[in-house]
Amino acid sequence: MTDLLTRVLALPETLSATPILAIGLTLSAFFIGNWLFRRLGQPLWLPPVVLSAVALALIIALLPLEYDRYRDGAQWLMLLLGPATVALGIPLYQQMHHIRALWRPIVCTLPLAATLASVYALVIAWALGATPEVLASLAPKSVTAPIAIGITEQLGGAVPLMMGGLLVTGVLATLFVDLLAGPLGIEDERILGFALGLNGHAIGTARAFEISHTAGAFASLGMGLTGVFTALILPLIWRLV
Amino acid sequence: MLRGFLILVLFFLLGEALRLVFVLPISGGVLGMILITLTLMLQGRVSNELATASQGLISVLVLLIMPGVVGAFFTVSQYQEQWLAVIAALLLGTVLSVLSTLLLMRALVRTGQRSRLGEGGADD
Repeated sequence: MTDLLTRVLALPETLSATPILAIGLTLSAFFIGNWLFRRLGQPLWLPPVVLSAVALALIIALLPLEYDRYRDGAQWLMLLLGPATVALGIPLYQQMHHIRALWRPIVCTLPLAATLASVYALVIAWALGATPEVLASLAPKSVTAPIAIGITEQLGGAVPLMMGGLLVTGVLATLFVDLLAGPLGIEDERILGFALGLNGHAIGTARAFEISHTAGAFASLGMGLTGVFTALILPLIWRLV
Repeated sequence: MLRGFLILVLFFLLGEALRLVFVLPISGGVLGMILITLTLMLQGRVSNELATASQGLISVLVLLIMPGVVGAFFTVSQYQEQWLAVIAALLLGTVLSVLSTLLLMRALVRTGQRSRLGEGGADD
């Protein structure tokens, strides 16, 4: 009987030999987060991704399961981020006629806005005494996760801290776009979408697709261009400073 | 659906191959996204298979980034002394950058519309 109990208690550890456990936990947390989001009346300041992540963190903390073991299994899920990034090219193509009409503002805004997105944060953090490791982790805060991981590693930052900053930035950018659009008198969903993707990467883009397909396409464009541009410019800035 | 997924995977691999061969600082996924957009523009149409597969993947994007996001909760204690710098940078930095983007785009879109009206006819 005690043997049976020991084996039951060891289950999270033994089951984590297969990545399916981590995938199952992530999927469960995803649905818990979405369910909570609806129960709370869909608050803008608390998107499903935050609720799901908190639920997932609680599950992992409560189970006798090391975070590192979870991450090893969940990496199978993150593999799909590559093809999912490619998939963003399809709405981009489908909305190309809208983008063509606005190409001039887009081309002019992007380099400045994408640079500012990391420079503001870098200057503030530097002034408050952040270490170079923390600065390197905050620098790609508006860049979509698969590119940001590469940038942070290149600059010598910590990936988990960067991911935390990414999450907070995505949520805040979504919130601020919604809050500032009214007072600034901006109703054009192309501008809102572009600002969401440029500042709030995948989280902002997910929100933009809730507004409309057009906003989503502009967000994909903003996210993609910011990612490419930041990946090229940040290593250069780093070398200069 | 699966045929569409195959196309996405192939473009991702193509992007990765280019990244590795030319030692580019851009991820394979983004290169693949750029390449597939250009290909579709040349073709002038997108198949239902590809549209369905991409919609499916985009709708689970949040699920795919969750394992990375949750890592933040387990490592945050290492940076306790710098929390003020991190929080201030994220909060102020994001509000400033969102404001900058919105103001820039609003100004440029308006200028574009005005100059087009000034030319006496819009081309689109």
